[in-house]
Amino acid sequence: MRRCLIIEDDADNAAYVAEGLRELGWWVSVCGNGIEGIEQATRASWDVIVLDRMLPSEVDGLAILRTLRGIGRRTPVLILSALAATDERVRGLKAGCDDYLTKPFAFSELAARIEALMRRAQPGEEVREMRVADLRVDLITRSVERAGRTIPLQPREFRLLAYLLVNQGRAVTRTMLLEAVWDYRFDPQTNVIDVHISRLRNKIDRDSAQPLIHTVRGVGYMLAANGAAPRDPA
Amino acid sequence: MSLTLPKWSTSIAFRQALIYGALVVLTMTVLLVLFYQETVGEWRRRIDRQIDTTTERLVGYFGQQGAAGLATHIAGLLGDGVDSDTEVYVLVDPARHEVIGNLALAPAIAAPTGGIVEQRVLRAGRPSQSRLRITRLADGSVLIVGRDMEDQRALERLIRRASLWGAGVTLLMAVGGALAFRRQLEHRIGAIRQTAARIERGDLAQRVPISAQQDEFARLSHDLNAMLDRMHALMEGVRHVSNTIAHNIRTPLSRILTRLHKAQSSRDPAADLPTAVGAAIAEIEDLNVVFDKLLQIAEVESGTRRQSFTPVSLNAIAVNVLELYDPVAEAKGLRLTHDLDREPMTSGDGDLLANAMANLLDNAVKYTAAGGAIHVDTRRGSAAVTITVRDTGRGIPPAERTRVGTRFHRLDRSVPGWGLGLASVTAIARLHGGSLELEDARPGLIARLVLPALDGA
Repeated sequence: MRRCLIIEDDADNAAYVAEGLRELGWWVSVCGNGIEGIEQATRASWDVIVLDRMLPSEVDGLAILRTLRGIGRRTPVLILSALAATDERVRGLKAGCDDYLTKPFAFSELAARIEALMRRAQPGEEVREMRVADLRVDLITRSVERAGRTIPLQPREFRLLAYLLVNQGRAVTRTMLLEAVWDYRFDPQTNVIDVHISRLRNKIDRDSAQPLIHTVRGVGYMLAANGAAPRDPA
Repeated sequence: MSLTLPKWSTSIAFRQALIYGALVVLTMTVLLVLFYQETVGEWRRRIDRQIDTTTERLVGYFGQQGAAGLATHIAGLLGDGVDSDTEVYVLVDPARHEVIGNLALAPAIAAPTGGIVEQRVLRAGRPSQSRLRITRLADGSVLIVGRDMEDQRALERLIRRASLWGAGVTLLMAVGGALAFRRQLEHRIGAIRQTAARIERGDLAQRVPISAQQDEFARLSHDLNAMLDRMHALMEGVRHVSNTIAHNIRTPLSRILTRLHKAQSSRDPAADLPTAVGAAIAEIEDLNVVFDKLLQIAEVESGTRRQSFTPVSLNAIAVNVLELYDPVAEAKGLRLTHDLDREPMTSGDGDLLANAMANLLDNAVKYTAAGGAIHVDTRRGSAAVTITVRDTGRGIPPAERTRVGTRFHRLDRSVPGWGLGLASVTAIARLHGGSLELEDARPGLIARLVLPALDGA
């Protein structure tokens, strides 16, 4: 069972996140202050730590993170904070966090990001080719085939597909796509991502009876062989 | 309790006036001393010269006619009625007996002196201060020639008294002037201080009254009023922003509340609640976006992101954002074209500039009807570089152009949006030391982001 430590002083919010993660099959431990948090974080091994920055004690979130990195722990850490300014985000990343989500947040966004962190944390062997159903993608030559038929893609479309593919079976949010594929941190007003996805979907799924790119309501998109989307956690 | 200083020490006006008064008194004193020297002193020197010439003349007589002749001559002088109330002549023989003279007592001091001495003597029966020249003659007689100085002394006393009076009056006038000067200054400064006190108490509309004289104080008051006007305008701006923010946050909040309350108290809560909750979530998500955008604008306006400026190519930004919006434009049936200049570079935050450009393209897509066209170009000038987004949409009326950069100002409330896009672009442009220019494209809008060109690019 995957183990998650939540260090968060707001009990309601911590309970909400913990409950959501338990429903997704996680074993979750919650602690509400910095000193206890630093003990738990260093004592046991965790698959992911969800960390609040402002905690009621001398030890704040960044101090815990620095301690953890200082003793060589590579545990993926996702900071969950109300501090949203760019330089705060940069401070978090500099201290060694793997992702930074600002409050208020949708649980679906948090869950999707934790899943993406899990994927990243796996030992990265050099993957040359990825397959889902009859879709075959060569990551080196950047060629895409569906049922033996080559599909030409624009470079950005390819990056979009590759990101969905790397996270196959897991929902990714629009914000995650914008950050990962376009490297933008702002929120475009119009549904630009939806239009890009529908264009990609047109190329990948149009001629096939089996759609691979699925819309996950309230979350974003998912690439999977079967259309049975995971239960909407939001 | 604070230490209370004597009032004069805390009044610059009084100190200045006092210093001025002291200067006047000093000038007066110097003037009087000079005047005294030039009148009384000169008079005295003239008398001395007269004594000297008379002595020389009498010594001459003595040489020609001997002691007896001299005595006769002196008797003549004493009896001629000329200067008889001031003249002093004494001849004493070698045996110390007075031969002739008009001093009651031949002075015991009949020892000859080199120059002229001043002595108290008894002349013609009354005491007198006299200047005397005592000369020993060849046969041992002593000749005393002098002049009674009583009248002279009376004149000196007169002048001295007049001078003292003058000095006293000057001093009084200086002090009085200082007080009047202070009153005048305090009156003028008091007007400014009163205004300041009223403003401090919260009456921000107060202004310093400007007197009719076009003097330094009038100019100072004018400057102060200009400053107050500017501050007032800025505060009004802040108030306007907080009011609009409050309005734009409270309105959706009250919508959410009403809807939830209604669902809660409805006859069939089970059927109504899910819809209400769904609507509430959508509203709160919108609010969240508004908050994010407001915070981002505030962050941009604070200028902290200037620290992370790097050289940025406007072409790279334009290409990326165009690529992001290309499918959206295509889906809406708009023609999206571009024309890029040779490497226009600026110093900035790439993410923010992309954000600004995305906002401009977003607006262009939103406000241009199907079949229209959007053209993006970049230009490189010597001092400035630009990104221009030109559409064939409805444009912005000239009267509205200055207002669209303010938060929550929206031209068309039927189109989804928050009225924060151009406010954000304006803030980003300002952060980079540039500006957002809006022009009429007849039809449509030209939105131009003008940024300083990178030095040496």
